[in-house]
Amino acid sequence: MSLHFNELSQLLARLQPRKVQPPRKGECTIMNSSCLQSASPNTSVICAQGLSKKFDKNYALQHIDLSIKSGGVTAILGANGAGKTTFILCCLGLRKQSSGILTIFGDAPGSIVSKRRIGVMLQDADLPDLLTPREHITLFASYYPNPANIDEILNTCKLTEFADKKYRKLSGGQKRRVQFALAIIGNPDLVFLDEPTTGLDTDTRRMLWDVVRKLAKTGRTIILTTHYLEEADVLADRVVVVKAGRIIADGLTAEIRELAGGGLIKCISNISEERIGDYPDVVSVRQNGRFTEINSLNPTSTLRILLSEDQTVSELIVSKPSLEEAFDTLNNTVSESTV
Amino acid sequence: MKSLALNAFFYECGAEILKAVRAPEYILPTLLMPIAFYLLFAFALPGAGDNNALYFLATYGIFAVMGPSIFGFGVGVANERDRGWLSIKRASPAPAIAYLGAKITVTLIFASLALIPIYLAAGFGAGIALPHSVWALLLGLHLMSVIPFILIGLIVGFSLGSNGAVAISNIVFLAMAALGGLWLPIFLFPDALQKISITLPSYQLAEIALAIVDAPTPTDSLRVPSENITVVVIMTIFLASLAYLAWARQRN
Repeated sequence: MSLHFNELSQLLARLQPRKVQPPRKGECTIMNSSCLQSASPNTSVICAQGLSKKFDKNYALQHIDLSIKSGGVTAILGANGAGKTTFILCCLGLRKQSSGILTIFGDAPGSIVSKRRIGVMLQDADLPDLLTPREHITLFASYYPNPANIDEILNTCKLTEFADKKYRKLSGGQKRRVQFALAIIGNPDLVFLDEPTTGLDTDTRRMLWDVVRKLAKTGRTIILTTHYLEEADVLADRVVVVKAGRIIADGLTAEIRELAGGGLIKCISNISEERIGDYPDVVSVRQNGRFTEINSLNPTSTLRILLSEDQTVSELIVSKPSLEEAFDTLNNTVSESTV
Repeated sequence: MKSLALNAFFYECGAEILKAVRAPEYILPTLLMPIAFYLLFAFALPGAGDNNALYFLATYGIFAVMGPSIFGFGVGVANERDRGWLSIKRASPAPAIAYLGAKITVTLIFASLALIPIYLAAGFGAGIALPHSVWALLLGLHLMSVIPFILIGLIVGFSLGSNGAVAISNIVFLAMAALGGLWLPIFLFPDALQKISITLPSYQLAEIALAIVDAPTPTDSLRVPSENITVVVIMTIFLASLAYLAWARQRN
């Protein structure tokens, strides 16, 4: 695989004006923090500055700078172990950061005031077996000052039918619906969904997507982690791509999709990958079976050169890259350029 | 927001009771074993008499409250922590005081349920006659004895996974009962074991209970319950510190 790092890093820089930099020695990060400066209602719901989390010697999060404003759906996208869940757990106050600043509604994570405005669905969390969905939801509603109506939530989450069945006897998808119901029963302003649809049946996934969209429409802020690009593509306004504890891209969903280049050329060609990689505007080339896949910032000019050099080109397709291809490109680029 | 925590407390109590009665296979043995052992040792075995019934009333009362405390908290908390339920609760505005308060309340209810048949058997079966004030004092001590055992349960529950917690809770429960002299007086044990016995809260609590009912001592030694009370208080503070550390370790 051949890559033009310069072009890609230029694109990345355009989307990430703030350079990721460790705090200099002696610099007082707290005084400089924009997280703490103003507390007007329209400021960030989540604000992280230089947020790092170290487990033993390994960084799960490294100098994360991220500010999420009120409203909309933000997808945190990354492979397993990229640091998505650690970030969520830090936001919830369940993990303490090793360094840096993190505020939720301008407050420290885990404060009772912020918790009353937060709903959460965790990845590996299960509920007690012997209570029914209705009992679970009723109990959870008692924690919040302004809970939603229990029957309405049961209905929204398509749980009415199993409302009085013991949790133990529910299917995997039904259990996830109960967990989702707990995340929204408190009428939260901010909802964290950690891999909400991993391993879900399509019905439950659709229900969840519908509810997330409705919540976003009423001005709630939704943070969801996922490794399903489709999910980010369909749901999110903004995508934050993380890899090995760092943010490698952050922008509007459409922008991230553009990142992999202007277009994807797929064809059968005789010309070597190396040679195509040297064409101007080509971001990446790879061989996929019989097909050569070319990521180009300017597919028209690339095609012109390709067709002039190779008369045998066949089965030609030009398309916009999907988020998945953009994500692949980003993931590979950063791993090679940071080594 | 006080009413919010109180409201949550009642719902938590309801949830704890529902969970317990829907799993009778766990709760019934802890309720039935103490009365069964009491009937066996105080009535059925040879040499049984008034003295034995009185002596064992004091010690089996401690035994009765140990089960719900150690298992309810040790196994219960470990299980809920293991499956991630405690993480959801800690991320939510669930008041910790409501959760713990409800668990303690329900433990006291089940401890009482385990005590009632023993008190009935002692009072009506063995015809033990004690002044009302002594009965009340004994009941008060037996119920307060849940505190150190709940703390032990919390330490186990916060430190171990659910399988480990079941094993360790059983070992702790049996050791506290047998070595603490709740089943048989410790003067029957070899010296080395007796030295271990006096380090156990079960033994110290049983000594206080025996002093309350003024049961005849199997040895000639004079009971000084104030010493036992001091030891129990120190042990409880120590256990509370450990439980706090085990809890605080959760967030790292």
